[in-house]
Amino acid sequence: MHPSDGTLRRSLDEPIAVTGAERKHVASCARCAERIRRISADAGAVHAMLRSPNAGVDVAAARVRLARTEAASITGAPMHRSARIPRPGTGRANRLIAGLGLAAAASVVLVVSGGAEDFLSLFQPSQLAAVPVTASDVRSLAGLASYGSVTGGSSIIFEPEPNAADAGAAADLGTPVVGDLPAGTTAAPQYAVVSGGVVTFTFSKDLAEAAAARAGGQLPAMPGGLDGSTLSVLVAPAVVVSYGVDPASLLRGASLPSGQAFIVVETRTPTVTSTGVTVRQLEEYLLSVPGIPPAVASEIRALGDPTQAIPIPIPVDVASGSPVTVNGASGLLIGDSTGLGSAVIWQRNGVVYAIAGTLTSNEVLGIARSTR
Amino acid sequence: MTDIPRPAAAVGVTPTTFDRLFDEEYARVAAIARRVLGDPDAAEDVAQEVFLDLHRRFGDNPGAQAPAWARTAAAHTALNLIRTSRRRAVREKLYAAEPGAAHDPEAAVVTAETTLAVRSALARIPKGQATVLILRYSGLSYAEMASALGIGVNAVGTRLRRAEARLRKEIGDASV
Repeated sequence: MHPSDGTLRRSLDEPIAVTGAERKHVASCARCAERIRRISADAGAVHAMLRSPNAGVDVAAARVRLARTEAASITGAPMHRSARIPRPGTGRANRLIAGLGLAAAASVVLVVSGGAEDFLSLFQPSQLAAVPVTASDVRSLAGLASYGSVTGGSSIIFEPEPNAADAGAAADLGTPVVGDLPAGTTAAPQYAVVSGGVVTFTFSKDLAEAAAARAGGQLPAMPGGLDGSTLSVLVAPAVVVSYGVDPASLLRGASLPSGQAFIVVETRTPTVTSTGVTVRQLEEYLLSVPGIPPAVASEIRALGDPTQAIPIPIPVDVASGSPVTVNGASGLLIGDSTGLGSAVIWQRNGVVYAIAGTLTSNEVLGIARSTR
Repeated sequence: MTDIPRPAAAVGVTPTTFDRLFDEEYARVAAIARRVLGDPDAAEDVAQEVFLDLHRRFGDNPGAQAPAWARTAAAHTALNLIRTSRRRAVREKLYAAEPGAAHDPEAAVVTAETTLAVRSALARIPKGQATVLILRYSGLSYAEMASALGIGVNAVGTRLRRAEARLRKEIGDASV
């Protein structure tokens, strides 16, 4: 079998990345030899185009400049230039849609450490389960910071893309195509890709002891391997197709427009990995630690048993969930109790889809069932 | 973590993780922006903006993802500059500032036109593709790019291949 263009391209920079079988094939395949020649020619040409002269940088002076800018921003003096990097918003109006992003993030294919071998085995959950949570925003394991260190999680970058093909290529997914638009939809679709990322929690015996002591208790007996064990949630890039709303404005915390608007989100099912102990062991132990706040306990329970079901945390103050079927795949319909809108989320072949907007439940289900 | 000399601004203050990150990554972040913009001053403006935002978002103890975040943000911010409404002014500045222009007027014109065409093409191709080009030719490994972009290493190769073919086609179509 011919290696992909991507593999051949990488082989030019990192030859070790090519397997022995691929190398053997390429050495005897005239077609692959021609592909490599073409790929190499393009790479060489682009290398020449993107040459950049070296320039000295005074790091110490740059640090002083940054400190001055930060001081000026605190005192209200005008800044050199405003930061324009997109960031997720927390506005109430986008809570439902933010909740969907959260659901995608929390939905998991669980990869649990296999004990002594420290080998990762894969579980494919087949169900979706509504998990009521009271926290309005799930904070990417941030509530666990008293029991260990949390890294990553905030580096979400939002990229508008000019068309479906580019969005799909950027996320390494096929872009979802909506078959039946609700009556009255006039807006053209906009495309974007939200970057993926990894959030890792590393359990610390010392921090957990300190947290238990603050609560006036002691840590229960600890399973072997727990101290320093890690739990990582890997979220893949997501394609966002939006109708009638600029998805970037939602991420900045803007309200949904008053008219008909909805978004379709597609992402590969996220994975959870653990080292040291299994995810379940880590969850159970954390729930037994004295003084763990109810909101944090909810977040932990929201992970549930992901070997069986993808947990979809639903903020009970704004929405409720009920099981539905989308073209044979089990899904969850989320009705918004404030009248803001509806959402549906389902999973097929390792890909999670979600649709949310200022629509009725029947309308989002209709869109979902026509989406390919 | 290596023992890095502390910058003058931090003398007398215990260096934070952010300080160390700044020392280790600032030159690289500026170089990424310079590869897009061509102008060292504009590139340092971008680097400043990136670290300002990074400090605001992550505080004094950014996590292990911070270097990847900073590099990607540098590419995005610089690419935004050549893609937004300010692109005309920036391009004119870049055009005027192209190194070597003073020595050989004829060669300088060719160089400047080529440079302008490349940046114009970078502004036209999908941003995800432009980003991977800039990160790769700024020296990031496939693993580093995968971490920075939140995709797998195989997807990095695929995207880079598409990006190179697309950029070359854009330049060809522009008849440089």
